[in-house]
Amino acid sequence: MRSEKGIVPAIVVWGFVALLLLPAAAVALNGMTTEWDGTVLPTGFTTAWFHNLFEDPRMSQAILNSLLISTATLVLSALVAVPAVLAGHFYLPVLDRCLAVLVILPYAVPGIVLGLGLLRLYAGNFGIVLTGTPWILILAYVPLGASFYYVPMKNNLRAIPAREIFEAGYLVGASDLAIIRSIILPSIAPALIVGFVMNFALAISEFVYANLLVGGLFPTLQIFMNVLRGGSGHLLSGVIAIYFAILLIATSIVLWATRPKSAAEGQ
Amino acid sequence: MIQSASAGARLAAAIVAVPLLLLVLLFELLPLLAVLVNGFLHDGAFSFANHREILASAFQRNSFVNSVVLSLATSLIAVAASLPIGRALHTMPVRVQRIVMTYANFGANFTGFPIAFAFIILFGLSGSFTLLLAKAGLLGGFTIYSKTGLALVYCYFQIPLALMLVFPALDAITPDIEEASRLMGASRFSFWTRIVLPILLPSLVGSFVLLFANAMGTYATAFALAGGNANLVTIRIGELVAGDVFSDPNLADALATLLVVALAVPIAIERLIARRGDRDAQ
Repeated sequence: MRSEKGIVPAIVVWGFVALLLLPAAAVALNGMTTEWDGTVLPTGFTTAWFHNLFEDPRMSQAILNSLLISTATLVLSALVAVPAVLAGHFYLPVLDRCLAVLVILPYAVPGIVLGLGLLRLYAGNFGIVLTGTPWILILAYVPLGASFYYVPMKNNLRAIPAREIFEAGYLVGASDLAIIRSIILPSIAPALIVGFVMNFALAISEFVYANLLVGGLFPTLQIFMNVLRGGSGHLLSGVIAIYFAILLIATSIVLWATRPKSAAEGQ
Repeated sequence: MIQSASAGARLAAAIVAVPLLLLVLLFELLPLLAVLVNGFLHDGAFSFANHREILASAFQRNSFVNSVVLSLATSLIAVAASLPIGRALHTMPVRVQRIVMTYANFGANFTGFPIAFAFIILFGLSGSFTLLLAKAGLLGGFTIYSKTGLALVYCYFQIPLALMLVFPALDAITPDIEEASRLMGASRFSFWTRIVLPILLPSLVGSFVLLFANAMGTYATAFALAGGNANLVTIRIGELVAGDVFSDPNLADALATLLVVALAVPIAIERLIARRGDRDAQ
């Protein structure tokens, strides 16, 4: 629905989007300037900082570590969260109510508190040492990111006439698993893609656990940013610009996955 | 739920849910429990000594006061800002709404270091905005490292989060309602104060509580911006754990316990009120 009073709302909305993107633009610009100190706009442009950055072995190590953790988190979270949400929605209403509460827990309990608890449990006090290894991050990111599957999946699932689909499937002799695999999963694909991307983005953006539980022993991109904080602002800008570029790609994938199927739906 | 699902299918469903529940238990619930229990241990015995120690220290108390003030202020600003932005977004095509909400989702969820550093570039001692403001004579005593600066950065993720929480509720303000209020001669101001706010109040309160919890729990952004200089609860906890001197680990747990309680109480009250509201509505 397009309103007649168009211009003011458009300014408000696009102004908001511009402000959201402003930090990313500033960092990218700073990463490409020779000198941006004491002037409103930068004075010269160079891509040298980016070259320097990629020659730094710590940088490639940090990117590699972050990609490893993010990919592992993405795979593990998909394997454990997607079946659980489907099981709750189709078969176990009790589980569904449980999940609805559990997924908001990370929003109610601060990361620093949970990180502290993880340190208490997995730093050897109980004979298990997971701190200092990437494993603790991968395992602990899955509960944090569960809401990124739960919310979009439930939105998609609620719009599906599940009973009709399953009854039609049973009539032709299909098993539950076959119905889920060939009908349900394809129709909630947008939600799944949103879940994958958001979990990947979570793992690549997370700082509190990474700093508290692993730190320099398996430095991620966020930890590398912390290391660079004291040094050249240009190098740090370069790292952050690369991070923002990854997030921008993630945003684009989400936008593409959730696009309306026909032009009519977009209006 | 499928009514006709067999017992075997339900059992299989329960089994596939186990790994997620196990991870939630081991890496979310038990850690939380460990913090709560450890906070009560003082010299190996169960006591409130740690909590008393924190409440008796002006420094620690101040960290709570600072966190609460910062969180209340930015949550209030965020809810207030999300209303006009949400209303404006409502008049836009669905396609635009989807794009804006996707950016808001990323803005709300992924902050920390990168955003803090971006703000330093823009508003730091020689940042472009600092220079512009100084030229316009509007700078005053503002620095990005101050409490006001911290509030500015918090707003960067609080406003998108508020928009995500408030925007769906704005569906309740239909064009009919707006039309009716106009026909009855309501001013713009009374439309907002006597119609929009009362209708949205329950969801605004709910959003406010979540925003408050979000701000209270923020660590990475504050740490990246001000290091240990910002006297906030989360910074103090982080310092007690990761600082050079790990003087009293149970003190960190006790501080964390107080933080959890400070968040659980408003959330519980809000839930209770919301549930009563739902019952009354039926």
